Amino acid sequence: MKSAKIKRRIKQFWLYVIKIIVAMIMFLPIIWISTGGFKTLAEFTSSSSIFPLNFTTENFTYIFRSSNILLYIKNTLLLMLGTTVGTLLSSSLVAYPLARMEFKGKNLIFTVIIATMMIPNIALIIPQYIMFGKIGWLDSLLPMIVPSFFAYPYNVFLFRQYFRSIPRELDESAMIDGCSRLQIFFKVLVPLSKPTYATIAVLSCVFWWNELTQPVFYINSDKWRTLTIALMTSYMYTSGNSFVINWPSIMAAATLMILPPMFLYFFGNKFLVGGIKTTGLKG
Amino acid sequence: MAKTKKDGAAHIKRKKDTLTAYAFISPWIIGFVCFTLFPIFFMLRVSLTNRKLNGVSEFIGLKNYVNMFKSEAFWNSIRVTLFFTVIMVVVTTIWAVIMALLLNQRQRLNGIFQFCYFLPSVIPSVALAYAFRTIFGKEAGLFNALLSVFAGKSVAINWLYDHSTVYMVVFFITLFTYNTGQMMMIFRSGLSDVPRELYEACDLDGASAARKFFNVTIPIISPLVLFNAVNGCVSALNGSFALLYPLTGESGNPDGMTQVLSLLIYKEAFSNMKVGYSCALSVVLFIIAAVFGAVLFGLSQKLVYYEN
Repeated sequence: MKSAKIKRRIKQFWLYVIKIIVAMIMFLPIIWISTGGFKTLAEFTSSSSIFPLNFTTENFTYIFRSSNILLYIKNTLLLMLGTTVGTLLSSSLVAYPLARMEFKGKNLIFTVIIATMMIPNIALIIPQYIMFGKIGWLDSLLPMIVPSFFAYPYNVFLFRQYFRSIPRELDESAMIDGCSRLQIFFKVLVPLSKPTYATIAVLSCVFWWNELTQPVFYINSDKWRTLTIALMTSYMYTSGNSFVINWPSIMAAATLMILPPMFLYFFGNKFLVGGIKTTGLKG
Repeated sequence: MAKTKKDGAAHIKRKKDTLTAYAFISPWIIGFVCFTLFPIFFMLRVSLTNRKLNGVSEFIGLKNYVNMFKSEAFWNSIRVTLFFTVIMVVVTTIWAVIMALLLNQRQRLNGIFQFCYFLPSVIPSVALAYAFRTIFGKEAGLFNALLSVFAGKSVAINWLYDHSTVYMVVFFITLFTYNTGQMMMIFRSGLSDVPRELYEACDLDGASAARKFFNVTIPIISPLVLFNAVNGCVSALNGSFALLYPLTGESGNPDGMTQVLSLLIYKEAFSNMKVGYSCALSVVLFIIAAVFGAVLFGLSQKLVYYEN
């Protein structure tokens, strides 16, 4: 009996060891980024120590001095908020009849929505680029913000799943009271679906804060640059005959950049994790 | 008489309902037509021209496709795309299952471990790519330094530029992407649905951990594995650009070994200014995605419950 207990203890111990090793691997890039921001350029390119030997905050002042980082933060926030508000509003409206009403063509529409979830955005980005160029939207945030007001299939799907879990009797009693469909939507479903709105808001904010592909295609001037593009291009320059990549400044900028999604994840953990699980398990 | 009147009223109500429903759905219909359907036809049309980035364009028939099929860079990127997609899905799925299994062992601090395992998923791919470019750098790279300690001699491998190591490093980095974190969470919730009694019954029979894994765990999570694997293919096609562009550049260093189709599309359109040709490449990417998508759709109809 006693040996079984010891055996279990040993097993538990090794499990902890493995879990800690995996955690260390997963933490590696974050540690490397956040300590790298406090190294000097000379140290970064000559020493592989994780922790800074000559601790400096110079890189953080440098990124504020050398680039319009405040402008990039503003642009990124604008992009993030614009797209998130757009998708919350439009996707939930579109999801409502799919979850609640019977009408002709419902199955067809739902099938097409599911099918468009499978089209990678990158396959259509060149024709979209030409199209947005023709209407003069290139080099602005419009090619990303405007489409979000026309519902994202993924989010429509999430909203539909949640709306279906709300008892229909609530709608019906509201209808007997003489509410229109739109009133039912805003007075019954929206207040009850706050967790779903929060989930999609968190997922959308993290996605757009981190998004690189679409800004790379659509934006080319400094004026509308987002943080991801700035991080990729702003801290490299030619000095004399040599091309310098200012790694510590990149790491400092990356440190600042990963903080908001990390906070969002920390405080919105429940919503983020819940949302991901719904997408996976129910479709 | 009364009955038909009632039917008529119901009929009118249903008609009105249909109208209301379409009013609600109209944003999506407009968006679908403008941002998906139209670009698809437009892409097909532009792929038949020699359109340049500055907009000058002339109809040239199927010439882009003929050139494409004769181009070594195109076939290389097709190979790289398929290889990258398949291996990435295999590697990330296995890693996600491992992490989910670890978290499924009931122990203290599991919440903290789960938080740590998912954390890299919320950081931007550029930051990830640049961190690993320096970790796997030749000079002052952390990985070389670690190897030097174990090997007892100085190691200086340029991991991301060496033909024999580049894939290893790239696939290692995919373990930190959002897709991996997402899969881990899905497996985690799938595993927590496995009834404890099943494992306890195995314990009573004296089954080994390996037998429990293959006879209980695998059968129960296999629909999830399948779904995640094909879903991963679609997101690999889409997401590889954001990881590889900052990591190995538009030419897919070294020597195009990591040049997936999306990087080639970008390079042809913006560096070589051949937008027409780039559209022809996009058509191919669209077809590849459609094939993966059709498989996923077929699977999800069978395995995943759209209806609650």
